[in-house]
Amino acid sequence: MSQILHILHYKLLTFWRTNTRIDITSLLKNIGSSITYFGFAYGAFYFTKRFIWFLISEIKIGLFLLHEFMSMILFIFFVSINVGNIIVSYSTLYKSNEVNYLFTKPIIPAKVFILKFLDNFFYSSSTLLLILLSVLAGYVSYFKMQLGSFLLLFFGNFIPFMISAGSLGVIILMLLIKAASKVNPKTVIYLFANLYLIFIIFFFKLNSPLELANNVFKYYPFINKDLYLGNLVPSFIKYLPNNWLAETAFWINRGILFYAWQLTILQITISIILFIIAVYLGSKWYFNTWLLNLKITSDYFSNKKQKQSFFSFSKKSILDPLKESLFKKDFLNFFREPSQWLHLIVLLLLILIFLLSVKGIRYKGLGNFYLQTGIYLSVFLFNLLLISTLSLRFIFPVISLEGEAFWKIKSAPVHPSNIIINKLFLFGLFILFISLLLTYFSNYRFEFHIKLMSFIISFIATTTIIFINLGMGGFFVNYKEKNAIRIASSQGASITFLLNIAYMLFIIIVIFKPISNYFLSLMLRKTFEVSNMLYPLFPITIVSTIAIYISLNSIYKTLKKDF
Amino acid sequence: MLLLQNVTKKYGQFIAVNNLNLTIEKGELFGFLGPNGAGKTTTIKMITGLLSPTSGNIYLDGKDVWQNPIESKMKIGYIPDQPFLYDKLTGREFLYFSGGLYGLNKDYLTNRINELLELLKIESWVDKRTEEYSQGMKQRITIASAFLHNPKLIVVDEPMVGLDPQSAYVVKKFFFDSIKNGITIFMSTHSLNVVEEICTRVGIINKGNIIFDDSLSTLSKLKEEKNNNLEELFIQLTREE
Repeated sequence: MSQILHILHYKLLTFWRTNTRIDITSLLKNIGSSITYFGFAYGAFYFTKRFIWFLISEIKIGLFLLHEFMSMILFIFFVSINVGNIIVSYSTLYKSNEVNYLFTKPIIPAKVFILKFLDNFFYSSSTLLLILLSVLAGYVSYFKMQLGSFLLLFFGNFIPFMISAGSLGVIILMLLIKAASKVNPKTVIYLFANLYLIFIIFFFKLNSPLELANNVFKYYPFINKDLYLGNLVPSFIKYLPNNWLAETAFWINRGILFYAWQLTILQITISIILFIIAVYLGSKWYFNTWLLNLKITSDYFSNKKQKQSFFSFSKKSILDPLKESLFKKDFLNFFREPSQWLHLIVLLLLILIFLLSVKGIRYKGLGNFYLQTGIYLSVFLFNLLLISTLSLRFIFPVISLEGEAFWKIKSAPVHPSNIIINKLFLFGLFILFISLLLTYFSNYRFEFHIKLMSFIISFIATTTIIFINLGMGGFFVNYKEKNAIRIASSQGASITFLLNIAYMLFIIIVIFKPISNYFLSLMLRKTFEVSNMLYPLFPITIVSTIAIYISLNSIYKTLKKDF
Repeated sequence: MLLLQNVTKKYGQFIAVNNLNLTIEKGELFGFLGPNGAGKTTTIKMITGLLSPTSGNIYLDGKDVWQNPIESKMKIGYIPDQPFLYDKLTGREFLYFSGGLYGLNKDYLTNRINELLELLKIESWVDKRTEEYSQGMKQRITIASAFLHNPKLIVVDEPMVGLDPQSAYVVKKFFFDSIKNGITIFMSTHSLNVVEEICTRVGIINKGNIIFDDSLSTLSKLKEEKNNNLEELFIQLTREE
């Protein structure tokens, strides 16, 4: 234990010294971060309160449906933490220089495992914790719950829930490495990815939010809206931690604490069991799997034959040599790093599931234009949230990922604009394409002018989000960190995510009025003035232009900075 | 060829390089010596465009390097002290990538890469990813990448770090042949025997100030006068300062 504390002491010292440098830039960054964090925390708190009010008082979905929707969102959280932890843990437990260093010292590998596990968990979950705290505070405040309920939900449920997801991630990782030493590593990865995907599809197939809402609405207004309708939820869902968490909140809300405590104890027990299994397997397998991983990697490289791919450097290209060089370098670096393309595949699959779900949503004929507006704006917000997640994960780290090898480009005759254009060309265009695809699937049932406005706003918003992430990625650049996920979950990335959310909320606020007018006119069968749709474009264009200008300035400054 | 005029670099209150004045002529192999933290790497980074001087100017062929960065960088080949490479690229891919940054066309680049691979004896492992390379292998790929575009000036920071004796011999010979072909080399090193073997001029920097700048023969004379070997003379000079 004293060894763990000794190492932790120096890790904290390093962290403290890195984050408390006293100079003007650091001071401004810290003040800016604090304001953004506080602003976001308050915004998330307020937004949650208003949103619950909207769902409960305006749309009248009832407590049961509200908590079942919460359960579905928590499932996505669980999957994100779990997959994130598998990928981050692989880099930090098996590929980090720190681990290589610690293994040369007389330290039991199990201690290294615990240190790195906690390091990963808290490092990559800090933003998530802030969001959860603020959302939970909004939830507790709306329902006027007591402090005890807040503490029970946060410490008794959310923290164990996250620990379960993280522990399961690292258990899966060790099993994968064990399996990869016996079977072809690629087969193991493909098999695992497919099984994971099938599980997610299976979850949403059996637990479709639309189907559940329709089934619940069938009973209204004949029953009490806050009644527990557990028989409408497939039984396997009730074995999942996300459902325990949401239902704990439901029972606290209903004042039936006995059930709430039962589920809390279950949540804590499972998290302890998973953590103990992770630590037990870590103490038994960690060093062994670390050696296996070295063997697998070296076997893979020595058996690997260099193929002349389409993007081979030696092939002639239609691009000029500079653009070709920058493009191929980024392309090969991306697709040769498993944590990059694996995460991309996972996110794309989530987007695909979302596209298929959103395709079936009917907005018309619901009888309540507020409900229609609410659904439409929620889908729009979710589209932007996906774009923001993709940008944060793949655009924010691009400058940092140049790493210490950036000296080659910085000392070569390359203008910063070439670097920026290349990054935008490779990653930006792809994200823009995804954004337009999302817009198409969520708007194809609407009239031309609604489709057109959605496309224009999505285009402007996506471009702005991409630039914000590029600019902020430059502002918080860290050439020493090689792990893209750690860069995308750093303090700078958290602030960027909060800025993205603030920008997205601004868009939603601006388009709220014309969209609700549109649905009102549909309901009243009145003619809708198309010019209504043009007004939001003015503030959106101004704010977006300013954001893009500031971001470009920031990235130029970074690229011209001393290296 | 290369002129450093009153070049100063400050980090807050700390002066890393103080009012440095140097002139390097074409075809010279200038050995830049100094103890750790003397300002060698800072000077080199200012010449290659990685660090901006706080004051003063750096001219290459009469043009200010910081006013004409693209044009100047076309004429410079840089070999850093730490040969960081893009891990996921092979050595050959890194060389193609480097050549592309200088706008070299593919046919020329392919021939030039093959030529350098042979000269620096790196053909056998050039198609492995650089994440598998040793320090010395990375160093040789970095050296090859600096010579791809036939630069007029090569700026080298500690070229012998991590090289085995055979590789060190190959690199020294390569540098020596390069100056015969009219290339100028600005080389920072700790290796005093390398300076004695191949440099034509020597500068010694200590605590950001130049304390010696003359030919190797003058340094040798001084060494004889003080009845020292080069190592003792270097220690004496940097201590006196």
